[in-house]
Amino acid sequence: MTRSERLRRFFEIVPGFMTWSTILGLIIFSIFKPLWVAVFIICFDLYWVIRVGYFTTLLVFAYRRLNMEKKTDWIKKCKSLEGRGMLSYDSVYHAVLFPSYKEGPEVLTSSINALLDSNYDKKKMIVALAVEERAGDACWENAKGLQKKFSDKFFEFIITRHPDGLKGEAKTKGANATWGAAIIKEFIDSKKIDYEHVVMSCFDADTCAEKEYFACLTYHYITNPKRTRSSYQPIPVYNNNIWYARSIARVIELGSSFMQMIETMRLEKFVTFSSHSMSFKTLVDVGYWPVDMISDDSVIYWKCFLYFDGDYSVIPMYVTVSLDVATEKAIIPTIIKQYKQKRRWAWGVENFPYLMMGFVKNKNIPLLKKIRRGFHLFESHYTWAVWAIIVTFIAPLPLIFGGGIFRQTTMGYSLPSVAAALFRITTLTLFICMLMSIKLLPPRPKDVKRQKKLVMFTQWILAPLLAAFVGSTPAIDAQTRLMLGKYMHFQVTEKIRHGVTTN
Amino acid sequence: MNKSDTVIRYIAFSFSLALYLTLLPIILSYSLGYHIDFHKFIIYKTGILSLRSTPSGASIYIDGKLIPDVTPARIEELRPGTYSVEVKKEGLFPWQKDLTVRSNMVTRAENILLFPILQMTEKVSDRETDDFFIPDDRSQIYYMTKTGLYKSNIDGANPRKLSSYSSWPSDILGKKLSPDGKKILYFNENGIWVIYLNDLRLIANGNAAEVEEVLKSSNIIKDVFWHSGSNHIVFVAGRDIDILEIGKGGGKNIVTLNKCRRQPKGLYYDIYNDSLYFNDSPDGKSVLYRIDLREKLFEKFMERIRKEFDIIYDQK
Repeated sequence: MTRSERLRRFFEIVPGFMTWSTILGLIIFSIFKPLWVAVFIICFDLYWVIRVGYFTTLLVFAYRRLNMEKKTDWIKKCKSLEGRGMLSYDSVYHAVLFPSYKEGPEVLTSSINALLDSNYDKKKMIVALAVEERAGDACWENAKGLQKKFSDKFFEFIITRHPDGLKGEAKTKGANATWGAAIIKEFIDSKKIDYEHVVMSCFDADTCAEKEYFACLTYHYITNPKRTRSSYQPIPVYNNNIWYARSIARVIELGSSFMQMIETMRLEKFVTFSSHSMSFKTLVDVGYWPVDMISDDSVIYWKCFLYFDGDYSVIPMYVTVSLDVATEKAIIPTIIKQYKQKRRWAWGVENFPYLMMGFVKNKNIPLLKKIRRGFHLFESHYTWAVWAIIVTFIAPLPLIFGGGIFRQTTMGYSLPSVAAALFRITTLTLFICMLMSIKLLPPRPKDVKRQKKLVMFTQWILAPLLAAFVGSTPAIDAQTRLMLGKYMHFQVTEKIRHGVTTN
Repeated sequence: MNKSDTVIRYIAFSFSLALYLTLLPIILSYSLGYHIDFHKFIIYKTGILSLRSTPSGASIYIDGKLIPDVTPARIEELRPGTYSVEVKKEGLFPWQKDLTVRSNMVTRAENILLFPILQMTEKVSDRETDDFFIPDDRSQIYYMTKTGLYKSNIDGANPRKLSSYSSWPSDILGKKLSPDGKKILYFNENGIWVIYLNDLRLIANGNAAEVEEVLKSSNIIKDVFWHSGSNHIVFVAGRDIDILEIGKGGGKNIVTLNKCRRQPKGLYYDIYNDSLYFNDSPDGKSVLYRIDLREKLFEKFMERIRKEFDIIYDQK
């Protein structure tokens, strides 16, 4: 093992080690020093409740902004910029890449139809469907069928077939996307289009972009003086099959949407997530996505961040892209599916050693920036892994292990009532989430009963239970795997649309 | 993110941080039992008094002063010391105790039972009753009267005469229902009696119960127990631990299981294991003993006794 490999292993171990040290440390201290743990729990509970309140405030403002910008005519805004010495909006091309695995034609068709519904000029759109060779001939035939169906609708409709088992690659979405992007580059080169005039959107196969998405993206792109030093992040909502998904899955996915909305208000910590866009020039400059990492959506941001010596940011766009809720017909398989999806997201912790190694090599990024961004990344994964465990399972331990003597102290007597009083405040957040989730819902399909809207409202009572059991465990799982060197492979989330299941 | 959003975010963040830093010392000191006197800028240690009464909603007086809370209540921020605590509710006897409050500790009085001043006394039966017996399952009441033995439901309803037997001893020390529920024994210092409860459905005429004096003892009977089989009575009379086989008519088998040096002071019969625990001092030192009377051992033992009796009888 070289020094560099050893260092990388060290950074891989750090998050899991810190998480387990916290959990085990608190358990052990609950036995021997219950008072210390009780003090810690009160500090943590108060921190958590205020953090929830702070996030709720940001969520409300992000939602307000989303509503305001919904009314914007982005094409008109782009046109109004003409003659101001900026990049002309009609000189901007959009390359939309759909890396897919075994998603069926109905999933991809709805995603491509969403592009057709866009109010942006389709003749400025290059659509690429990147298929995996290992997905089989049927998928390739489906891709060919889609190409035939949609080729005349866009500037170009490219299909690519990523060979399996290329040297240095892992079975990841990033490898497929990189292969697809390289072929798009060949096309762009053949048309002699300036890379800076091309905006690359890498969409999950189930991503249905909002009508205004590309106009909004173009506006942000042309008005941004550092357009090649930014990624452009829409708000993901899970509306494609939300009326048909299980309540458990809906609550978890809506929570993810809300979290993403909150993140749009915290720019200094904002990182790309799921479907997003960036300058094609940037993508070519940095050498596309890493081909051996699972968290392609966030790692591309860090790759750019390191490449541009920390001068790279994410611009939030208050337009939505709609994705599928990871659901199943029965409850237990839904929980398992959600768990696996969240574990894949939590595997984003692999970005920590990647970033740290990048920081070691890059001497141009200011130390303070390195510390701040490194800490933010570490803190987000660490908190994700420990919060639900501390709040739910560690909190009663001082009372259990402390015995009669501890219960006889004012701290032992007050702890349950103080914790309960603090968390009662968070019900207000729950109520806000209830209201917002109703507002974000797409129109009710005709075959869905009217009463379902009531379920959409009341489903939030599941939130505390879900937070307790699936709040932290996927993150602990992912961090433990990374700590032990048991690296995860990319697992595609199976999509279900109104009873139709596709891989 | 436009400028106004940035401003909102920084305001929200600063407010949250300030809120945390303000609330944390207050909540922590409260939980740890410290009180901050903001007027005098001093911190002092306190304790908590936790009061819970049945019925709840009773008024609380501390050192004679009525406090606004009613039970159940936690009275916080009490300085360490002894307080005279009274819990009162109309129509109930008040409860009073001197409770010591220690710093950072909770003093609990959570089993306060307030009894009604006017007790509800209810007549169960009009029958003149010398004595009575209620088995542990509280299914019946057996009345020992001058006109005979009666039984009724636990609420006094459905009375029925079981027997005309009325010679109840005046100084009954105890009554016990047999494990099979078909016999009741009662005893005083000089004798043991058994009431055989016949099945009322099987007996159309005649007595539904019969009473038999099964033992007259010259030694003072200290306690009597049913063996789990319901056909034997273990009793301690004087210094002897005896076992008596019962049955209607005929002679009674009595075996002395143990002769103690002194009459046992403590006695306990474990009916689940048919074991009698008693203390004795054969060597001058009083220690605990146990006699195992489990069915199998017991049957073998009784068989041996019978054989010995037969041999003696034959010899005679």
